[in-house]
Formats: sequence, C-alpha cells, structure tokens
Amino acid sequence: MNWSLFWDLTVSGLTLGSVYALIALGYTMVYGILKLLNFAHGDVYMIGAFMGWFALHWLGGPVNPSATAWLVVVLMFLFAMVACGGLGVAIERFAYRPLRNAPRIAPLISALGVSFFLQNSALLLFGASFRDYDTFHLIGAKTYNYKDIFLSVPQLLTIVSAIGLMIGLTLLVARTKIGKAMRATSFDREAASMMGIDVDRVIASTFFIGSALAGAAGVMFALVFGQIYHFMGFLAGLKGFTAAVIGGIGSIPGAMLGGLLVGLAESYATGYLPQGSTFQNLYVFALLILIILIRPSGLLGKADVKKV
Amino acid sequence: MRRRATAIAAVLALAALAIVAAASAKVDRAAAPSATASADRQLVSCGKTVTMGMLAPITGPAASLGKLQTDWAKFYVAAHNKVKKNKHKLRVQFGDTVLGGPGGTAEAVKAAQSLGSNVLGTIGPAGSNEVRATTATLKNAGLAFVSGSATNTELTTDGTRTNFFFRTVPPDSAQGTSVANFIDKKLKFKRVYIIDDQEAYSTGLADTVQQKLRAAGVTVSRDGVSQQQSDFSSLIAKIPRDTQLVYLPWQLPPKGKAFGDQMRSAGKGSIILMGSDGLFDDAFASLGGVYASSFPTSGTHPVVKAFRKAHGGDAEFFGAPSYVAAQVVGGAIDRACKDGKASRAEVRAQVRKTNLKKTVLGLNVRFNAQGDIRGGQFGIWKATSAGTFLPVG
Amino acid sequence: MADELTPQVPPDQPRIGVDEWVASVEGKRERYRGPVGWLRRGWDTAPAGARLLAFVIPAAIFPLVTTEGNLFRYGLITLLYALLGLGLNVTVGFAGLLDLGYIAFFGFGAYTYGYVASVHTGHHWPAVPAILLAIAVAALIGFIVGFPSRRLVGDYLAIVTLFFGQAFVVFVNNGDRINFWPFNRTDLTGGANGLDNIDPLKLFGWTVNTTKEYYWFTLGAFLLVIILLYLVSESRTGRAWKALREDPLAAEVMSMPVNRLKLMAFVFGAAIAGFAGAIYGSVQTGAFPGDFDVGLLITIYAIVILGGAGSLAGVIVGALVVNGVPELLRDPNQAEWVFYTALVLLVLTKVRPWQKLVTVVGGTLALGFALVAIADAWFPRWTAGEPNTGKLAHWVSHWMLLPSHATQIANWAYALTIALILVLTLLRGWWRTIVMIPTIYVGAFAWENLLVEQTVGATRFLLLGALLVVLMNARPQGLFGTARVEIV
Repeated sequence: MNWSLFWDLTVSGLTLGSVYALIALGYTMVYGILKLLNFAHGDVYMIGAFMGWFALHWLGGPVNPSATAWLVVVLMFLFAMVACGGLGVAIERFAYRPLRNAPRIAPLISALGVSFFLQNSALLLFGASFRDYDTFHLIGAKTYNYKDIFLSVPQLLTIVSAIGLMIGLTLLVARTKIGKAMRATSFDREAASMMGIDVDRVIASTFFIGSALAGAAGVMFALVFGQIYHFMGFLAGLKGFTAAVIGGIGSIPGAMLGGLLVGLAESYATGYLPQGSTFQNLYVFALLILIILIRPSGLLGKADVKKV
Repeated sequence: MRRRATAIAAVLALAALAIVAAASAKVDRAAAPSATASADRQLVSCGKTVTMGMLAPITGPAASLGKLQTDWAKFYVAAHNKVKKNKHKLRVQFGDTVLGGPGGTAEAVKAAQSLGSNVLGTIGPAGSNEVRATTATLKNAGLAFVSGSATNTELTTDGTRTNFFFRTVPPDSAQGTSVANFIDKKLKFKRVYIIDDQEAYSTGLADTVQQKLRAAGVTVSRDGVSQQQSDFSSLIAKIPRDTQLVYLPWQLPPKGKAFGDQMRSAGKGSIILMGSDGLFDDAFASLGGVYASSFPTSGTHPVVKAFRKAHGGDAEFFGAPSYVAAQVVGGAIDRACKDGKASRAEVRAQVRKTNLKKTVLGLNVRFNAQGDIRGGQFGIWKATSAGTFLPVG
Repeated sequence: MADELTPQVPPDQPRIGVDEWVASVEGKRERYRGPVGWLRRGWDTAPAGARLLAFVIPAAIFPLVTTEGNLFRYGLITLLYALLGLGLNVTVGFAGLLDLGYIAFFGFGAYTYGYVASVHTGHHWPAVPAILLAIAVAALIGFIVGFPSRRLVGDYLAIVTLFFGQAFVVFVNNGDRINFWPFNRTDLTGGANGLDNIDPLKLFGWTVNTTKEYYWFTLGAFLLVIILLYLVSESRTGRAWKALREDPLAAEVMSMPVNRLKLMAFVFGAAIAGFAGAIYGSVQTGAFPGDFDVGLLITIYAIVILGGAGSLAGVIVGALVVNGVPELLRDPNQAEWVFYTALVLLVLTKVRPWQKLVTVVGGTLALGFALVAIADAWFPRWTAGEPNTGKLAHWVSHWMLLPSHATQIANWAYALTIALILVLTLLRGWWRTIVMIPTIYVGAFAWENLLVEQTVGATRFLLLGALLVVLMNARPQGLFGTARVEIV
C-alpha cells in the first residue's frame, strides 16, 4: 500500500473539496430558502477570483506588496467576499425577486441570463487572457510534512480558511438572530412572514453570505492553482451543484460534506482508477447516483414530505 | 369535426408546400452549379479597401487563443496598411467561432456564413473540427481558408479540401514524428507519461507520439485532463517518481505553466516536461528547463521584436502562424487585385502560388499540393532558466 | 408587464382565501384590451391551422428574399433548434420531466446517421432508411434510459439524466479507441475528431446540397413534427400528460398509468431529438463530440422555457430570440441600430407621463451636446477618438464624447452604468427621472466606446443574457406560456 500516494491524493482531494464545499454552501443556502438553483453562482465565484486579483494589484502586486503578505491575503479575501456579496444581493434583487412566485423553472432561465451576462462582461472588461496570482512570490510554496503527509502553504491556507468559514457559518446559522430567521424562512416562508420576519431581508442576507463564500472560494482556488479566466466558473459551478446534491440539497452540513466528498472522489478516481483522470467526471457522477440510490435525499438531506 | 377539417387542410397545405418546394428546389439544383460558380468568380472591385475574413474563437473557453491569433492578424494588417506601396488598404471582417462553446461547431458554420460577399479570402478557423464543419460552406462560397492552428493530419490528406484549405502550421504527423524521435533517440528516455487534454488537437498528437514511442520500446502511460481543468495535483500524485518525461500536447500555455508549478510543489520538479507547439509560449517557457516543439520561430526576428514591443513584452507565439496566414491571404489578395478587380477563385490561385521568404516562422513558406507548408521542419526547443526558448534539435 | 393571469396580490403576502379563478378574471379582461389585446384575441380564437399558416407563410417566403448566409444563420439553425425544442417540449412541457441528458439523444441521432451514411465508415445509405434508423436508435436509447428512471422524480431524474449525457460525451470522445472484447480496435465514433465527411441527404434520387434545399427539407420536417405534436397534445395521451404535469399524485389516483406515460414522453422526446440529430449531422457534414454537451442543452432549455413550456408556438419564438438575437448583433452597424432603437422604444414606452418623457429625452440630448461642446473647447482629448463606422454612428458622434484611448474610461463607464441602473430602481418619482438622464448617457457612452467594438464577440452574448433576464421577469410563464408548469 503506497501510503505516500494515498496521502498526496487525500491532501489534494481535501484542498479541492474545500473549494467545492464553499461553492456548494452557496447553492444549498439559496435552495433551502427559495427552492431555486442559482446557475449564476459559478460566475460569482469567477468574479471573486478577479476581485482578489485586483485587490492584490492595487496593494502593490505579488512581487512587491505594500504590506506584509499575510495582511495582503486577508485584504484580498475581504475585498472579494464583500464585492461578491454585493453582487449576489444585486442579482437576487434584479433577476430573482420578481420571479419568487413563478414556476420553479423560470428563475433558472433568468439565472442563465445572468450567467451569460457575467461571463461576457468579464470577458469584455478583463480581456480573454489568463491572469496569474503568482502565489509563489506572494506567500511562497514552502511545504510542511509530518511523516508521509505533505502540505504546501497555499493548500494549508485553503483547508484551514475553508474550515474556519464553515464553522463561522454554522455558528451564524445556529446562534444568531438572522440565522434563526434564515432557518425559519427555509422551513416555511409564509409562516415566517406571518411571524414578522422580513423575508426580503433574510433572502438578501442569504444571498450575501452565499455569494461571499463563493468569492472566498474563488480567491482560494486562485491562490492554490494560479490561473483565472472568464470561463472558470462553468465547471466549478457544475461541480459545486453536484456536491450540494450529494450532501442533500438544503442542508448546510450536507453541502460541506458533499463538497469534501466530491473533491476526494475526484482525487482518488484520478489516482487509482485506470484512465482515471480522463473519466473522472463520470466516476463522480456514478458515485452520485450510487448515493442517491441508497439515500434518495442525499447524505444529510431530509426527505421532503409533501402535503397532499 | 372542425378540428379534423383543419388538420386535413393543414396536411394538404403541407403536401402542396412540399411539392412546390421540390419543384423549385429542382430548379435550384440546376442553378446550383452556377450559383457556386457565381460566388467563386464574381469580380469584386478592389477600390481603396479590400476585405479578408478571419474566423477565430473570440468568445468562449478558448477566447485566450483567439486573442493571440487576432492580435497577430491585426498586427499584420496595420503593418500592411502603413506601406505606401500597397494600393489598397486591408480590412478584416471577424467571425466568432466560439470554439468549445455551447453551440459547438454550428457556431463556426454560422460565423463562416456571416462573411460578407466582399470577403475575398479567410484566415482560420482555429480548430480542426471547425475546419471540418465549415469546409462545405467555405468551398461553396469559393473562399480560400488558411488556418494558423488546425493541425489534424487528415485535414490535408483526405482530399476533400484541396486547393481551398491551407495551413501555416505542420500537421500532427510531422510534429508527432519529430517529438517521438527526439524523446527516443536524442534524450533516450524509456519511461514516458503522456497527458492529453481531450480535444481533437491533443488526442491526435498524443496518439501519434504514443504509437511511435511504443513501437520503439518505450514504456508509455497515458491519461487525460479536461481543457478547463486547473487542478492537476491528483494526477501528478499518480505519476510515478521514476518517470523521465511527461509530454503535454496542450493548447493553453497558462495550463502548461500551472502543471509545471504544481509538479514542483509536489516535489516532482526533476521530471522533464515537454509541450507541443501549443505550449510554445513565454508563459510555459518561464518554468525553465522545459521542452517544446515548434517551427524555428525566432525571438530575434524583427517582426517578433516589434510585436513584443507593441504588446507589453509578450510575444504571444501561438498566434505567429496566424500572422503568416494573414500574410498569405493578404499577399494573395494584393496580387489578385493588381488589375483593380479580383474574384475569390483568383485569390485561391494566388494563395496556391505563395512564396514568402524569411517569415516569422523562421522558414520560407510555399505550399505543397495538399495545402501544407513544403518542407516544414519541426524543431525541438528548450527553455533556459531565464525563460527563453533556444533550439536544441 | 405584469403577469395578467395570476392574482393581483403582492407576491410575498400569503394568499389566504383567494380563489384563483376569480382573482384571474380581471387579468383575463385586461388581456384583451387595446390594440395588443385585439391581436391576442385574434390569436387565441383562430383555429390551429390558421396559426400554423401564420408561421408557415413567412417561413416559406424567407429563402426567396434573403441571402444564403442569412438563410443559414437565421433560418436553418433556428429551425433545427426549434425542432429540438419541440422534442424537449414533450418531455418537459407536456409531461413535466426534467431531462438533463436530452442532448445525448440529439447526438445519438447525428452519430447513427453518420455511421450509416458517411465516407468515414464507408456506408452510404439513402436518407429515408438512415433517418428512420436514427429515430429508432434514439427512441430505443430513450427507452433504455427512461425505464429504470421512470420512478424517479424531480431532481433525481435530473441527476441521472445528466450523468447519462456526460457519459455519452465521454463515450463518443473516446470511441475511436474501443479496445475490449468483442470490439478490438474498433473506431465507432471517430473519437475527438468526430465522425466526419457525413453524406448529404439523398432522397429518392435527389441530393440535398444547397442551403436552400436543406432549409426546405428542415421546414418540411418541422411542420410534420409540429402537426404531429398538435394532434398528440389534443389526444388522450396528450391530455394525460398534461394531467401528469399538473399533479402527478392526482393523476395516479385517477388511474392514469403514470410510469408508462412518463416513459412514453421520454421516448417521444428522444425520437424527435434523434430526427433533428440526423438532419444536423448531414448539415454539419460531421458529428463532433463537443456539439452535444451541456452548453447546447442549456440553450435548448432556454428556448423552451422562454417560449413557454408546453406551448408549440412558443418554441418557435424562443428559438428566434435565442438564436436570432446573437446573430443580429454580429454586425456592428446592425447592432448600432438595434441598440438605439431598443433604447428609444424603452424610454418611450416606460416613461410616463409625457412631461417626464420630454424631460428625459430633452435632458439627455442637451447633456450630450453640452458635454461635446465643452470638450471641443477645453478638453479636446475627449472628442479626439474615431467615430464608429456607419451612418448612425456618424450622427451619434456629434452627441457623444469619444475620447482617444477610451478603453480604460469605457470600462469604468460600463461599471458605472450598471451601478446607476441599480440606483435607479431604488429611487422614485422625479428623482428617478432626473437620474435616468446620466444613466442613459453613460450607458450610451459605454456602448459607443467599448461594447460596439466587441459586437462580434462578447457584446452579443452579454445582451442576450440581459434580454433573457428581462424577458423572464416580464413574463415568468414564458412568452406564450399559459399554465404553471410545476416540475416535480
């Protein structure tokens, strides 16, 4: 048993999985409240990566930052999260709010329109060339190891900050008033509004938080893997959606678990199965179907009880 | 009852329509040869500005490639229009083929169909499958199409587009052979890993190299990634440490660089990387110590230097064959326009007679009967630690 | 444009004690008021045959009045996408099944036709048996996929069909290296290079090779399918599908064979997709893996939903919008006209009463000319740029600032326009009217200096996206949609 290979695959699976988990969280939160699949979420992630790049360059660039590297990274995260949160709120206000009582499939097309708009605006404003975060110069690629387990600094940063954000989100949803309001609204929107909860504000906050997480995911991805371009949101969005469904769509811990699972599944499939990398999407989908067959509402999802 | 009547009426109307259509179509068929001929031989007056078309991926996942190609083509047009000797100014009508996008190759055909009647010749399309899909349209229109990046060998060997399609890049068969020979005979490696990116360009090259290396007794492992993937860490973990060379016939230089960076982070930086001509770019070269195959495009060529200066130090080598393609088409149009009028058939004939000396590709460009560059020699280059490519074989 | 048929209650209030039919009567009366209402009444009461002719006659005349290029882009491809949309309409619109692998049936049709009629494989079947085979294969695959999934609902059906769609793409992409028993070294699909050199359609001695001929053939095929679908939707099965879509549980209780109906819808949709695929394969002269991926699936969904799921006429309009708008915007001159016409129409119809309209129009024009005059006098750099080509652009250049090296400024202007539009929606009354003036000017500035240069590329898709958002918000049930389609 080649432990070194196993640990390498696990680490890269967890890193990518953290990114997917953050994207999946955005999907699941919005679905829980609105029963809407936000197609444009992947493109919010892409905008987050670009916002992080701009923050980096306004602060002097990777080679010669005007503050210490760690402060720059924190500021990049904050800027991307706030910008994406705002973007999410704006998208909700314009593309989804008028469609709140429309058949479920109408907001899907609106979301598609937003996705086209964001992707091509990014192409127009930022150009077609790939941009690089140049993490090597910014925070270096020092690797820490414990026996056979190797972790580079960007990977460690990604996993730790993802865990931190997830803990923060769980606390927010469980302990704060707005979190309680979110839970109530996702349980029964009409009853919540009758109880005096401002549903519009709750939904806007949900979008803000979900999109901020996507923005953070964008910055994280770019720090570890380097390249950003206008089309990077498409595949990531699809994977995030898959992760959300695997974990049970509507369930926050489910999205976290689903994301990590998808990341690990891709990694192990690539590493161990024949032609694993070529067919990795298929393997992940097969895993998804298997899970759905065993647990139809996803790993941690609740079975939807329909009142007749 | 009424509904049935309307249904019957509708079906009868449809039948009548079909008959009318068939009748008029038959007439159309008789007219078709001359319809094609008329597009082919219609004389366009050359006037002050003449138009050439360019089909490239301006949007979509491959937009970064389209930018390189259009940048070089625009550079040629600007240079051409500055030369006083040229009686006519050149103008480019762009068509967006959205390579890899949602509409698939249908977008490329739509782009080809959008070229105006004053277009005399075309550069592109960029992808080999796009060339296949647009052949019928461009042939019917009588247009010559010169691609700066479609390398699939069958495009010139299957005989369906002779004297219409030309290319300023070598076919996969030539490139694959040079690469396999270099790995086997020069580097004498015995354990090679090939990773393709699932696109037509990549799998073609990968298959050729794999076949030739295996025939020479080299152990070859093969896997693929998606062209849009940026995370290669799991695949890198799988590559055995005793692998001597990883061959990446990819199209996007930033992905090649990302792969190299991730190899180093994983501690496998001692494994040699080799790219195809798609990775012959400053971005990939910045890794230092990597190989790539390419035409003898030289960084010291005056045009390359001028381009670098105008584009912030980036030579965008991937687009250089598109510059030559623009030269070919532009030059053909110039020659056909000598008498003030030109037809697409004339331009095609002139493209066939192209004879360019000392192009940015580092060689003279003349086409053989199939549409490939005559004697297109492929070279292997190695990047110095400073990030520039130097020829080694 | 509010949705006239849903109750006039603020969207987030609980609708206690409101009878939906009673509440919608007012909306229905509104629907037939005014000149637009007159058209709507004519449309709603006309017999189906007349409605069909209203489409067929312009479609039949189209090739006679337009160039080959336009015929291909606006006519042939629109028809093919509309045909695909018709098939998806059966699965999603009639029966309410969220099939995310639909495009694989399209691919099956193309590859099957290509397998029996191409230079690549050496078989050269005539069109009729080849197309019938393509339809049969697609229907069979539809059955094979639909059978185990007939019990799945909603999102789960979506995931399984998505997997199937992805599996198809990977299969055809690697289908030239099939190397396990009993297929040794078989090239089934041509791999990443596709199955190329597919034969043109050969019907009873007549080969379809020009665009016009393809158009006629596709139009005939389309009419055949749409008439068939109309008859089916009025039949027992069609009504059963609609009942299934509205409320599957009630349908089951009413002893409708729900699972069998679902399977039938699936297979029917797949068969139509196979038909479209065979035609597409011969039009493209090749079947390439990248053509049958999630991207096209999403486009066809957009067509069906935009037109109104369940509506046959809607599919045609949806295809015209989703395919026609990017094509229309390819040419910068055309795009210029479209932009300003749309802008003027928007302002004319949305700004009421006339005092506000006059303020906006007058103010915007005055602002423009004033800025240009000031720039000419003191900041020449701001008018030093080249106007775009075309007559309209030339007129506009007297009103619009055109800086030299405009790219950076134009980028910011674009962002500023979006910000101003967001601000506009938060304002009311005269403030809104006043802020509208700089919004329009800055938007036009961004258009002239940035967007119009990229109409062949990013701009047309960007505008399509914006159009989709606007249309869906204006009519959530789709342009021709009527019933609420609840996907279970």
